[in-house]
This record gives sequence, C-alpha cells and structure tokens, in this order.
Amino acid sequence: MLSVEGLTVRADAVELVREVSFDIAPGERVGLIGESGSGKSLTALSLMGLLPEGVRASGTARLGERELVGVPEGRLKDLRGREVSMVFQEPMTALNPLMRVGAQVAEVMTLHGRSRAEARARAVELLGRVRLPRPEQLARSYPHQLSGGQRQRVMLAIALANEPGLLICDEPTTALDVTVQKQMLELIAEVAPALLFITHDLAVVAAVCERVLVMYGGRVVESGPIREVFARPRHRYTEGLLAASKLTPRGTRLPTIKGSVPAAGRFPDGCVFRNRCPYASEKCQTEPALTGDGHAYACWHPAD
Amino acid sequence: MILYLLKRLAVLVASTAVAGVAVFAFMALLPGDPAEIALGVNATPEAVAALRERFGTDRPPLSQFADWFGGLIQGDFGTSYVTSSPIGPQIGDRLGVTAVLVLGGMVIALLIAVPAGTFAAVHHRNPLGVTISAASQVGIAIPAFLAGILLVFVFAVKAQALPSGGYVPIAEDPRAWLLGLLLPWLSLGLVQGAVLTRYVRSAVLDVMREDYLRTARAKGRGRMGALWRHGLRNASIPVVTVLGLQLATLLVGAVVVERVFVIPGLGDLLLNGVAGRDLLLVQGVVMVLVVAVLLINFVVDVTYAVLDPRLR
Ligand SMILES: Nc1ncnc2c1ncn2[C@@H]1O[C@H](COP(=O)(O)OP(=O)(O)OP(=O)(O)O)[C@@H](O)[C@H]1O
Ligand code: SF4
Ligand SMILES: [Mg+2]
Repeated sequence: MLSVEGLTVRADAVELVREVSFDIAPGERVGLIGESGSGKSLTALSLMGLLPEGVRASGTARLGERELVGVPEGRLKDLRGREVSMVFQEPMTALNPLMRVGAQVAEVMTLHGRSRAEARARAVELLGRVRLPRPEQLARSYPHQLSGGQRQRVMLAIALANEPGLLICDEPTTALDVTVQKQMLELIAEVAPALLFITHDLAVVAAVCERVLVMYGGRVVESGPIREVFARPRHRYTEGLLAASKLTPRGTRLPTIKGSVPAAGRFPDGCVFRNRCPYASEKCQTEPALTGDGHAYACWHPAD
Repeated sequence: MILYLLKRLAVLVASTAVAGVAVFAFMALLPGDPAEIALGVNATPEAVAALRERFGTDRPPLSQFADWFGGLIQGDFGTSYVTSSPIGPQIGDRLGVTAVLVLGGMVIALLIAVPAGTFAAVHHRNPLGVTISAASQVGIAIPAFLAGILLVFVFAVKAQALPSGGYVPIAEDPRAWLLGLLLPWLSLGLVQGAVLTRYVRSAVLDVMREDYLRTARAKGRGRMGALWRHGLRNASIPVVTVLGLQLATLLVGAVVVERVFVIPGLGDLLLNGVAGRDLLLVQGVVMVLVVAVLLINFVVDVTYAVLDPRLR
C-alpha cells in the first residue's frame, strides 16, 4: 500500500534524511523510533508533502498508484485527509484557536465532497468515536476550552474522518499524561488502518506495532518485526537504545548510549553512529548498507 | 462576552470622565482670561468683571466644570466667548468632514496593505515579495503632508486632473466632493498603507508558520486556501491593534492634511480656534479628539472579542 524508495530530505546542502526505504502493507502497523533529531518527523512530513519551507524531499514514495514525493501541491492535496492523514506532534497548537472544534472536524469532510449538513452530523459522531465526552456540546467549543489530550483526540477524529488507508501519527502521546496516553494508544490501535507510528518510547511501539524501523542520523539503521528486533537487536544503535530503555530483564540494564545526537549535518561519514559506538572500527568509516530479509540492519559489527 | 463588553464600556465611560477633567484643568491653567481677551488691554476693570459674570468665569472652577461637562453630555459645547456663536454645531459639521477624510484614508490604506502585505508574506522568499517590503519601507519614511504636496504637484499642477484643494459638500455636488477628497485621501492613505503593509506582512508571516495552517493543509487545503480560511482571521488580530493606533495617528495627520488641501475639518477649526484665542472652542475640539481616540480603543477592544473566542 505504501512503498518508500530512497527517500532523501535536504535543507539546502544539508542532508537530513538519507536513502530511506520501507513498505507498509494494508492494515499493517509500523513503528518509527529513534532519538530526537534522527529525522522521524521529516520522513513523515515528506510523505504528506508538508515539509517546512526550504526543505525538499527526493526519491519515491507511492501510496497505491499515487506518487507522493516531488509532485505538485495541487495533485497531493486531494490525497491528504482522504487517503492519508496525519496526527502531529504538538496537540496544543495544531488546531485553529478561532474556530469551533466541530467545524474543524467537519472541514476535512466538506473538503472532500461531503455536504455541510452531513459533515456536521458526522463530526459529532466522530468526536464520540474518539471517546470525547458529550460530543454535541464539545463540537461547539473552542480549542482553548479543551485539554491537550482532548485536542489530540480531536486531531485523531479529523485524521479518521474520511477513513484513510494510511494514518501517520507523530508522537501523538508524548505531550499527554500517562493515563490519557494509554487511552489514546488503545484508541489508535483500535481504529487505525495501516499505521506509521512515530515515537521514542519503545514500550509504546512494542504495544502498538507489528514492525519497527529504527532511525538514526537520518537513516534507517535497522528494521524488522518488533519481536525479533527487540529480542535480538543487531545494529549497535538499536542495542544501545534497548539497553537504555526498561525493556531488558532487570539487572542487566546497560548504561545509556554515550554522547548525544549531533546536530543536523554533523554526523560522521561512513556509519553515522560511529562517533558514539563502542564497537566502531576502521571499517565503520565506510557506510554499511541495510541488508537482510525481514530483519535488516546496517552494521559492520552486529550484535549477536 | 457581555461581561467583557460591560467592562470595556465602563472603562470607556470612566476614561471619558477623566479626559474631561484633564482637558478642562489644562485649559483653566493656561494663562489668559476670556473676558480680558475679549475686551482687549484698554478695558476697565468694571467692564471685565461684568463680562466675567456674563461668561460665568467668575464662578468657582468646580461649578464651571460641572456646567461644561454637563452640557457636553447633552451635546452642548457652550457658546464661544469670541464669536458668541454656539460651538456644538460647528464642531459637528467639521467632525463629519474630518471623519470622512480619516476613514477614507484608512480604507485606502487597507486596500493597499492587505493585498500587498499578504502577497509580500506569501512570496517572502522571492524578489517580488522582497520588493514590496522594500517599497513599503520607502513609503514609511515619507510624511503625509509631503505625500500630499507631491500628489498635488503631480495630479493637480502637472496633469491638472484633480483640484489641488478646497472642499465641496456632498449635498452640493457629489462628483466635486469625491474629486476634491481624492488627493487628501491618497496622501493620508498611501503613507498609512505603507506602514500597515509591514504589519500585515509580519502578521501573515507569523500565521503561515503556525501549526494549524499545516493541519489545514493536511486536511487537503492548498497553501492559499489554508491561509485564506484559517490564516487571515488570526492575522487580523495584531493588525487591528495597529489599525486602532493608526486611526489615532490619522486624526493628527488630518490636521496637517486639512491645511495642505484647505479642507474645513476639525484640524482647521482647532488651528483657527488657537489663532483666535477662542478657548472654549479649543477646549471643545480637543475634547472631541480625545473622545474619538477613546472610542477607537473601545471599538478595537470589541473587535478583539468578536475575533478571538479566548477573550470572551
Ligand atoms: N526546517 C528545517 N531546516 C533545517 N533543518 C531542519 C528543519 N527541520 C528539522 N531539521 C533538522 O532535521 C533533523 C531531523 O528533524 P526531525 O524533526 O525529523 O527529528 P525527529 O526525529 O522528529 O525528532 P523529535 O523526536 O525531536 O521530534 C534535526 O536535526 C532538525 O534539527
Ligand atoms: S557499523 Fe560500526 S560504528 Fe556503526 S554501529 Fe556498527 S559497529 Fe558501530
Ligand atoms: Mg519529530
């Protein structure tokens, strides 16, 4: 259903995302993890054609028969909100403060051909479906009258309104408190069609997704079924990530990955992780390719 | 919403009262006695005293103020000490002319600034957008009266297409009224439009970076569609603030432009009043100008509430 090949994102001369390739099958739920600044949001935004100004994507990304990268806005626009939807990272600012919530949900339906009355009625229904209390009343309120969790549900209602084939969620729960986070995740898992789910919370991916892509320095460094990748990480970065999380058995917790993520454009050549990797060797100065069927990784000295 | 309006209204009433006291006190503290001014230097003390009694300026200031302010509330500005004619009707006539002048200037400013500012924001990365912001910078540097003189030179003196000054009431000849006001409107509006263009540009630029615009595009709106539907109303909030300030500036600018184009507005009346030492007239005009500014602020506050639900 979604097929991404050699997706590269640049801001002027700086390469922010490099040669990313992956597929999502219909109904499949794929997680995209990695530390802050690894290029997760940019990858997602390039699929929506919503990259910030001055940032450009190249490569191919196909949704069904439709090309998503490098096509003019006019042709992408009717896919957005209908075939592919996105819930953004920041719930507090993603809604228009001057417009009633119900109208903002209805808008995505009238834009894609539903009548106004029908859209209004369905907006209320959708608000109920994302488990917002008293949806009729809530539809008439303004975003500032809602909590962060409620706003994020409104965003989810907007994203689901036209029953898109693919839903992209960019850290939809990071800004929310733990109980709300849990409800939201259950909801997404329940309603999502094919899903690309971005997070840096490993427990969350494990709960929601079937497959995972690990991103670092703008590249996918490892990918595969969640169980395999989490049980037996091969790339040293994934290994570090897992070690630093609470997923390993108690008592064997390793220190966190040393150093911090370099700024965009400051990653080393060869393996991007090489300046932080305890296993780095001379060989790592050449870029390792992402290889392997099913469970793939790009590392010269993989863990076993 | 109602509570907010009532609060704003209370502020308006209170500040009008304070302004009344301030204007009255200021005029009372100015040296010069209306009776002495009216009679000249050779008047006998008895005559001056008699005239003071007739004017009522021999009474304690508090009762004079009560009389004046009480009259104002009923629309009575008193009778001029100098010309013995009632002041209210004069101010009324002139106020109409100035209001038409200022509002016309504002409309022109908006007609320039909203499209130009929006365009400059949308195209802020390409040469045309940059040219517009540069041009507005030049416009800002020109004072309104200079723009007026330039316009007169080009359109009235060189091209002889428009009158260089004078004012014909609309009831007399609507066409002449319009032609006569065109240059004054332009000289106020062009400069204010240049100033406003910059604010519109930066407001639209700010809004373009907002997440909710990206949300709108994620729903399937085009760049311009998202800006139109979700951006302009948001961008208008800071612009309304500037607009309110500009209206106040325009009132002052009108005083000068009325001189340049020989238009019988409030500014002209004020200058005449000062020249003729007509204290009560000056007091009345100043009060009207102050109240106009307070009213503009009130309207701005109400507009905020209409635009922004967070304030209601
Ligand atoms: N408009 C831009 N121009 C230049 N660089 C950018 C721009 N937007 C993002 N970047 C850089 O690209 C890199 C990847 O950004 P991205 O937002 O995709 O990270 P992320 O993985 O989503 O991180 P987070 O978990 O913090 O959301 C970062 O180093 C960021 O500084
Ligand atoms: S390729 Fe080398 S530097 Fe990169 S993760 Fe593997 S061992 Fe470490
Ligand atoms: Mg991100």
